[in-house]
Amino acid sequence: MTTHFITAEMDLQGRGMLQTLPSQLHQEIEAELQRRGEPLRWAVTSVDSEGQTAQVEAIVTVESSGAAVSR
Amino acid sequence: MNKRPYTVVLIVPTGVGAAIGGYAGDAMPVARAIAQICDRLITHPNVLNGAQLYWNLPNAFYVEGYGLDKFAAGCYGLRPVHQNRVGLILDRGIEPELRLRHLQAADAARATLGLSLTDYVVTDAPLQVELRSSPTGASWGTIANPDSLLRAAETLISQAQAEAIAVVARFPDDTESEALQNYRQGRGVDPIAGAEAVISHLVVREFQIPCAHAPALLPLPLDPQLSPRCAAEELGYTFLPCVLVGLSRAPQFVVKGADSQPEDIWVNAVDAVVVPATACGGSGLLSLSQSRAKIIAVADNVTRMNVPPDAIGIKALQVQSYLEALGVLVADRAGISADALSPSISSLNCLSS
Repeated sequence: MTTHFITAEMDLQGRGMLQTLPSQLHQEIEAELQRRGEPLRWAVTSVDSEGQTAQVEAIVTVESSGAAVSR
Repeated sequence: MNKRPYTVVLIVPTGVGAAIGGYAGDAMPVARAIAQICDRLITHPNVLNGAQLYWNLPNAFYVEGYGLDKFAAGCYGLRPVHQNRVGLILDRGIEPELRLRHLQAADAARATLGLSLTDYVVTDAPLQVELRSSPTGASWGTIANPDSLLRAAETLISQAQAEAIAVVARFPDDTESEALQNYRQGRGVDPIAGAEAVISHLVVREFQIPCAHAPALLPLPLDPQLSPRCAAEELGYTFLPCVLVGLSRAPQFVVKGADSQPEDIWVNAVDAVVVPATACGGSGLLSLSQSRAKIIAVADNVTRMNVPPDAIGIKALQVQSYLEALGVLVADRAGISADALSPSISSLNCLSS
């Protein structure tokens, strides 16, 4: 197993009801991180309210046969 | 008498430069104050760990961050215990003298505090912690040999029947770095906190057992400008005592679907969550915002993050200070609308059908 620091940008535009945003966002972040490893620890660390994006920082683990996808 | 125990979650995210709680267990006074006015306080090691300093809060639950995120998501419940037998993992990268200091700290916890520890394990390879700081200023880190850490934990659990795991990893002595100087003067991000969290997260994710971490570092040269918020970390040779104390009574995790007991605590028991106003982007808070709990965002506790609750759709009550948050909690527990305590109250409107 290896541990990797990664970042991701999530699009906040075109969301539905505001009150569903946190759970939607949680699911979408987990799904995005899953594509790049097994999420271990993550957080939205900044939000650009003009550009409607959220910056995510995370540590994922990857079993030794694979490698984390860098972006 | 109201039978529902008033339950508060206090979160101060690790490694984000929180003005209160971003240093050496310096959110402990906040935790002590909240513990006085609630029935159950659920919080995490970053809040309660002050290296050599700690405070026994009988109604507090010491829950590691990964476990807290899973609790918030409804995946884990918390099962109160009277005590845990704590297993100690020492990184093979720790020098012999420093290792002995940690073993003596563990013996002190046994002899002076009466804690129960198992025999210890030294990892089969150096863990090789690497520190990093993200563009937003948060501290993160990785370890080169996570499998060695997990093998050591497995040994403690299977051979020594450890019920909680304390990990001591050798961290880089970056004594000349600007980040460390800023941290010691109380105006920077804890450069090692993010990596510490990664270590304990790995163990909790793999074994669903309480875990916390203490770094092994050489003593720093005296600094006359040392911030009081960091001073607890410069009292001795190890950061281990608070970790052993916290783990000794940390609740066990109950995975959803396993046999639940009446005393188990699940996320639907949470009445309120207190969090810094600019650090609302953690997994745990996103989950808790979907529960019935009242979210209280504290403006005074500034961080390097830029995630206010409304930016990601979290409905929160914004307050200026922890003193104000305490007032909100007292009123909420008593069933008093906070609006009724302000000088003006608007009249009711008729809802349109």
